[in-house]
Amino acid sequence: MTTAVTIPRHGGTGGQAAVAARARQVVKAYGSGETRVVALDHVDVDIARGQFTAIMGPSGSGKSTLMHCLAGLDTVSGGQIYLDETEITGLKDKKLTQLRRDRIGFIFQAFNLLPTLNALENITLPMDIAGRKPDREWLDRVVETVGLAGRLKHRPTQLSGGQQQRVAVARALAARPEIIFGDEPTGNLDSRAGAEVLGFLRRSVDELGQTIVMVTHDPVAASYADRVLYLADGRIVDEMFRPTADAVLDRMKDFDARGRTS
Amino acid sequence: MTVLKTSMRNFFAHKGRMALSAVAVLLSVAFVCGTLVFTDTMNTTFDKLFAATSADVTVSPKNAKPDDRPQTGRPETLPASALEQARGAAGVKSAEGGVSSSSVTVVNRENENMGSSNGGPTIAANWTSNDLKAMEITSGHAPRGPTEMMVDADTADKHHLKIGDELRTIAVTGDFTAKITGITSFKVTNPGAAIVYFDTATAQRELLGRTGLFTNVSLTAADGVSDEQLKQNVAAKLGAGTYKLETAAEAKDSGRDSVGSFLDVMKYAMLGFAGVAFLVGIFLIVNTFSMLVAQRTREIGLMRAIGSSRKQVNRSVLVEALLLGFFGSVLGVGAGVGLAVGLMKIMGSMGLELSTDDLTVKWTTPVVGMLLGIVVTVLAAYLPARRAGKISPMAALRDAGTPADGKAGLIRAIIGLVLTGAGAASLYAAAHADKASSGAGVLALGVVLTLIGFVIVGPLLASGVVRVISVLVLRMFGPVGRLAERNALRNPRRTGATGAALMIGLALVACLAVVGSSMVASATDELDKSVGADFIVQAGNGQPIVPQAADALRKTPGIAHVTDYKSVDAKITTPDGRTSSEDLSAASPTYAQDLRRETVSGKLSEAYGKDAMSVGDKFAKDHDVKVGSTLTVAFKGGRTAHLKVAAITSDDTNVDKGAKYTNVTTAERYLPADRVPQNMIMFAKAEDGKAKEAYASLKAALKPYPQYKVQDQTDFKKDLKDQIGQLLNIVYGLLALAIIVAVLGVVNTLALSVVERTREIGLMRAIGLSRRQLRRMIRLESVVIALFGALLGLGLGMSWGTTAQKLLALEGLGVLEIPWPTIITVFVGSAFVGLFAALVPAFRAGRMNVLGAIASE
Repeated sequence: MTTAVTIPRHGGTGGQAAVAARARQVVKAYGSGETRVVALDHVDVDIARGQFTAIMGPSGSGKSTLMHCLAGLDTVSGGQIYLDETEITGLKDKKLTQLRRDRIGFIFQAFNLLPTLNALENITLPMDIAGRKPDREWLDRVVETVGLAGRLKHRPTQLSGGQQQRVAVARALAARPEIIFGDEPTGNLDSRAGAEVLGFLRRSVDELGQTIVMVTHDPVAASYADRVLYLADGRIVDEMFRPTADAVLDRMKDFDARGRTS
Repeated sequence: MTVLKTSMRNFFAHKGRMALSAVAVLLSVAFVCGTLVFTDTMNTTFDKLFAATSADVTVSPKNAKPDDRPQTGRPETLPASALEQARGAAGVKSAEGGVSSSSVTVVNRENENMGSSNGGPTIAANWTSNDLKAMEITSGHAPRGPTEMMVDADTADKHHLKIGDELRTIAVTGDFTAKITGITSFKVTNPGAAIVYFDTATAQRELLGRTGLFTNVSLTAADGVSDEQLKQNVAAKLGAGTYKLETAAEAKDSGRDSVGSFLDVMKYAMLGFAGVAFLVGIFLIVNTFSMLVAQRTREIGLMRAIGSSRKQVNRSVLVEALLLGFFGSVLGVGAGVGLAVGLMKIMGSMGLELSTDDLTVKWTTPVVGMLLGIVVTVLAAYLPARRAGKISPMAALRDAGTPADGKAGLIRAIIGLVLTGAGAASLYAAAHADKASSGAGVLALGVVLTLIGFVIVGPLLASGVVRVISVLVLRMFGPVGRLAERNALRNPRRTGATGAALMIGLALVACLAVVGSSMVASATDELDKSVGADFIVQAGNGQPIVPQAADALRKTPGIAHVTDYKSVDAKITTPDGRTSSEDLSAASPTYAQDLRRETVSGKLSEAYGKDAMSVGDKFAKDHDVKVGSTLTVAFKGGRTAHLKVAAITSDDTNVDKGAKYTNVTTAERYLPADRVPQNMIMFAKAEDGKAKEAYASLKAALKPYPQYKVQDQTDFKKDLKDQIGQLLNIVYGLLALAIIVAVLGVVNTLALSVVERTREIGLMRAIGLSRRQLRRMIRLESVVIALFGALLGLGLGMSWGTTAQKLLALEGLGVLEIPWPTIITVFVGSAFVGLFAALVPAFRAGRMNVLGAIASE
């Protein structure tokens, strides 16, 4: 079973679809012939709008690759990926760049910020690049939400790791992207700072209606999500709604055991 | 051992990053080696030429100098009796009288000069068997009789001459025409002299004015008699001190001395430019190693953590520098030989023939090149290496970042400011010096101090200047411009060093441009003020004007007057009893109108009276000469006169400063006819309102004498400007080397920055920076660095140039002119240089894979 298309798409025109992004029969393979490695094996997935989705799986399961493909950072070997109604597979670099700039937000594990810019400049960077004026009111609200009001003039080196990640979250939120992708955004943080960041992500979904996809291997982080997708060997093997840390952990152990016996 | 191994591995792992530094070393070493090989080859060529053309022993008149072009237009001679006497000396196998003059011009029927266009002499001589040592007749036969001549094959080739063509030879004794009956080729390389041969009687008659005279005697030693022995025998026979005697080896040496000094000037000038390139290269190497050390901070920290000593780390970096210096220098030596060959080809196209057969690579050349390359590289890498040694083991655990150096920055600022201040003070002092000679040293000191000062404060200036440039240039590019500005400001030391490298070359350009245009402006100003003549006639190569050309000028219609001007050697004894050798300016009285001179006392026109003269103010003061004093003037080669001082001229001028004037007729009275110098330069004034016609007639009158040119004031000024412009262009061409190295430095800095910022670039691309924007960002950073260097360099250079002008105002450089078009062109040009330097780094950054870049460590 390689499908996670559980939420029916609201068809029709006009109103916003309930699916923010979807993948259809996505294949990602490296190399060819004998050395061919399949990272994604005919994956189908729908990312629900206004939800917090976590992607989990052991190392090498393809979870990061899936996220990179969904975010237009990586090309696929086969299949289609749509962001809302736009098919992004097959787009040229220029269009993809524009798409990332205008419609997608990113939070990486580390090195999220340009050291030459201060916190505020980092937050507004995607809009600056696009030549758009940030929405002042929204910006204030985002800054408020992530609790950075007093530190906007600080350079990244003057901020703690947790604060840096909060700036990254603010940057991702500030441009009001259709979807935010997080690549283990709390991977480098201690549990308290991590919890803080995850809390902001949760709040941005609940209060701001943001769609978030996050790759993680941390069951606690995953428990902040509405839905958890499990990947193994390039396929989606399971999913869980309204997870708790314990449930996620149990499921992981379960996979591990199965993986070992099979 | 492990140190060496790690260094080797690091070196080869980063060979791409070393490449540009290696190119810088290569270029500088190549320039040094190329210069050495080229000048050595020129020396070899001349040595071979002189060795081939010199007889075993040559007898020449006592005051003859090699390659002499006497003012009289007549070579020094010895009587035929000397030949007979020498022939009788013991050990002489054969003796031959030679006649040779380099005060000739040879033209074809169309009045085109057959001489070399590069300043090589035209020589007319008799054909002797001694000439067969260096030459062979390749077609036709040797000249026989007064209407036959032979030309050298290079000249024949250049001007498409063939047997049967008629050539006119212009000598001081008159013009004569002969038909080519033979062509003779050099067996060695002839760098550019045009040579025509006649039979002995014709040569004597036409070149010396009468038979029975020679200009030299060539002696061949009998078997078993050494040149030295022969010289002694002949000296005994002729009487010691009567003539100059030279063995073949001595002739070679004195020939070499006469060209050697010119070659040395050229050699040291070119080595100077190579030195500038080296200096610029140092910045590049320092930057490269600083960046490599910064990038490797963690790695070095790890090495320190597992027990490498500071010294070992330090040494490992130096070993890398050693390898870089070694490879760069080896390639540089090879490229230098290629460069020398290229230079020879260029010289060949300008008429200076050099053969690659003579290519001379002394063993010292590669040694000097290698040593310079390696030593400079290692020295340049020393500071970064020391910094590497200071990296603490803890760095291994920390994130690599820009090292904070607040305290170092302060010390730097103080040292830099002190040096700049001292330099500025020196420049100020130089500008206000009261003697040019003493001011020159102060000026040089000021130049060096301000240069070093600027290099040191460069990084501090960088932040300010870059911000200013950004406001003016970058801001219009929006956020991308701002990112570029921030990047340029990120590491001021690096931006400063990169810009400083460019600064050096451009400062020299600006300085010379200011001095050059001030020279033109000052000369023009002076001409306007003091020259009253409408036309100026002189030879392009400094030869005196033959009488037949002077007569042609005098006969030109529409001319109010023609002025003769001769320089006469004399020993002057002043009333204070002192005697000194001086040049007298013997001119027509009309010269006083052609060149307006202020007098301190007396009337200048009276100095042109019978047995009268004038002296300059300083000479008068030094020797206590007053108007009315009588000077004893012993004319060289003539009689002694007692001339009365009728005027004392002011020295507040730049034309003919300190000249002692007398009438041409006065000089002629005391000199035998063949000792009267020919006119060095002539002036003419048109009849009122006939300037245009007169100019045309003068040009027509001089048509048969293409070696001279007549110019009106406008053309004279233009010519002067062109000449200075040409000189400046050559210097700019040589400075281009330093500027190329500096541009490589900008490329290097950008390329390494791009590598350093891989993750940042990945991040920016991920959040939506397009390739175009990314490339533009890097290009703008490059432009800012280049403009920073240009601004500093031009500012510095202009202040040097202005100071030099103020100082040289004492020597006549009275007018300061800043060549704004040049300055602005250079400034704008450097922005384009910046764009150009960013081409490859920007392209590579744009091609970076986004995911790979984010994931990179």
